[in-house]
Amino acid sequence: MKTTRIALILAALAILAAVPWFGSDVLVQFGINALLIAVLAQGWNIIGGYAGYASFGNSVFYGLGSYGVAIAMVQWQLPFGVGLMFGVALAAVFAVLLGVPVLRLRGHYFAIATLALAQVMTAIVSNVKLAGQNIGLVLPPLNNDPLFYELSLGLLVLATLTIYWLTRSRFGFGLIAIRENEEGAAVMGVNTTLYKTLAFALSGIFSALAGGIHAYWVTFIDPESAFDIGLNIKMIIMAVFGGPGTVLGPVVGALSLSAVSEFLSSEITSLAGLFFGAVVVAAVVLMPRGLADMLRRFRSMGWRYFAENIRSHRL
Amino acid sequence: MDLLAQILINGIFLGGLYAVMALGLALVWGVLNIVNLAHGAFIMLGAYVSWYLYTYTGIDPFLGLPITAAVMFALGYAVQRSVLNLIVRAPMFNTLLITFGLEVVLTYLAQLAFSADFRTINPAYAGDSIVLGPVVLPVARLLAFGIAIVLTVGMWLFLLHTRLGRAIRATAQNLVAARLYGVEPRHLYAMTFGIGIALAGMAGGLYGTVSQINPYIGAALTAKSFAISIIGGLDNPLGVIVGGLFLGILESLTALYIGSTFSDVASFGVLVLVLIVRPNGLLGKAA
Repeated sequence: MKTTRIALILAALAILAAVPWFGSDVLVQFGINALLIAVLAQGWNIIGGYAGYASFGNSVFYGLGSYGVAIAMVQWQLPFGVGLMFGVALAAVFAVLLGVPVLRLRGHYFAIATLALAQVMTAIVSNVKLAGQNIGLVLPPLNNDPLFYELSLGLLVLATLTIYWLTRSRFGFGLIAIRENEEGAAVMGVNTTLYKTLAFALSGIFSALAGGIHAYWVTFIDPESAFDIGLNIKMIIMAVFGGPGTVLGPVVGALSLSAVSEFLSSEITSLAGLFFGAVVVAAVVLMPRGLADMLRRFRSMGWRYFAENIRSHRL
Repeated sequence: MDLLAQILINGIFLGGLYAVMALGLALVWGVLNIVNLAHGAFIMLGAYVSWYLYTYTGIDPFLGLPITAAVMFALGYAVQRSVLNLIVRAPMFNTLLITFGLEVVLTYLAQLAFSADFRTINPAYAGDSIVLGPVVLPVARLLAFGIAIVLTVGMWLFLLHTRLGRAIRATAQNLVAARLYGVEPRHLYAMTFGIGIALAGMAGGLYGTVSQINPYIGAALTAKSFAISIIGGLDNPLGVIVGGLFLGILESLTALYIGSTFSDVASFGVLVLVLIVRPNGLLGKAA
């Protein structure tokens, strides 16, 4: 059972890795977008899924990563790799500086404070000269979609392995303890502030890397697109749709929703958005613990699974 | 000095409108414990109801507000009974997600139905203003401000002194106890949500008379309503007046002295600060 599962995952990975050799350009471009959003969903999974802190501010890290690469490459003529590291450093500093006060908040208040941070960052960056103010920055083009594709896939694998490590490490168990009962975790000796801040930073680092790759790929960034708040919502929906707090759930959620949304927007643009909203509403009502939980329990419970979910949350 | 006085007046007028925007959000949040991310989308729908009423039947946007309120109340009641009631007891995060999903659905439906064009509700007196010494009071904004204050105070009196208002407050404090005293929670939640959405709709009608509307204005208005609810606290409807005025004046002053691009930095920066220092709001009980 265990070996077949690993074999299946490796086979899926091999097929994904081979896409640039047999797929069309359009498919590769769609793949880059879908893989990067899957990285974001996985990054969010660390703070939102495992630590249970619903961050609506991960787009800030994504934006910092994009701007790290853009500033390093455009203003300082440094190579891409250095730019990525610069973006990661920015994200880590931000996570620690603002994470410490903001992570003291719980529930709605944390969600809203991070949402507000995301709003503030857009406005601040539009006024920073080094970042090109609200005009943005144009990066040197590199027409190598297969490279960006493999980079994104590699990053997703790294993020997923990190999550896997969470499920069997002291750090990961500490985060789950914080999610289930923060006071309890503190009493049991978990340094909650340290753990939460580390989770926030780790989550931010993956978002920053995704942002950096995306910036170099599209070769143009401005504050509106780099700090797009809609992106937060998108990554959260994908993680929650797939199953927050599971290893593969967010990846499956992100890839499947991206595919459906891509298909719909090629048909009628406004319908894709509508569909997205409707999926969220239906998913929260029918499978509030995500696709992963649904697949696991649907086999034994059948259609009763949905009825059970509704019954336990309605008034 | 005259400029400062004028800016303060503008800020106060804006603040009154902000207060009534946030009122419905704070009510629903306080009673149902749902932060309604679709709140701004309901404000937007209310603005369109008023716009249609004015454009096709010629009903004055201020006199037509009760009609807007009735339409939006019915919509809110139906949404709560049919959709939100299914997740009332779900974890906080799921309620955020589902209302976000509603926001997306409402925005796209509005785009399909009303197109993305900008609209304004322009009654004949829209350009009129009263000159009062050194400052100018635009009539439409003055009316919007007056109605906003009447609505907020009216809401406060309603919650304090009517049977339904008391039932709403009792439910907010303790659902089980309220149930034992004969409150039907499903109906009461739907009434509360309906009232919240009716307030949002009226706020939208007022907003449409002072600003342009399109299907996408909702998200920013939700964020502002949040900020105001938090600054004012959820304990008392009068708190939103303080929060609204505070934000309105702050934004006007920032726009004057630092630059209009920074007015959002100021409002959301203050929101983060208030959250960190006093999570129950400036006027709320200490944590």
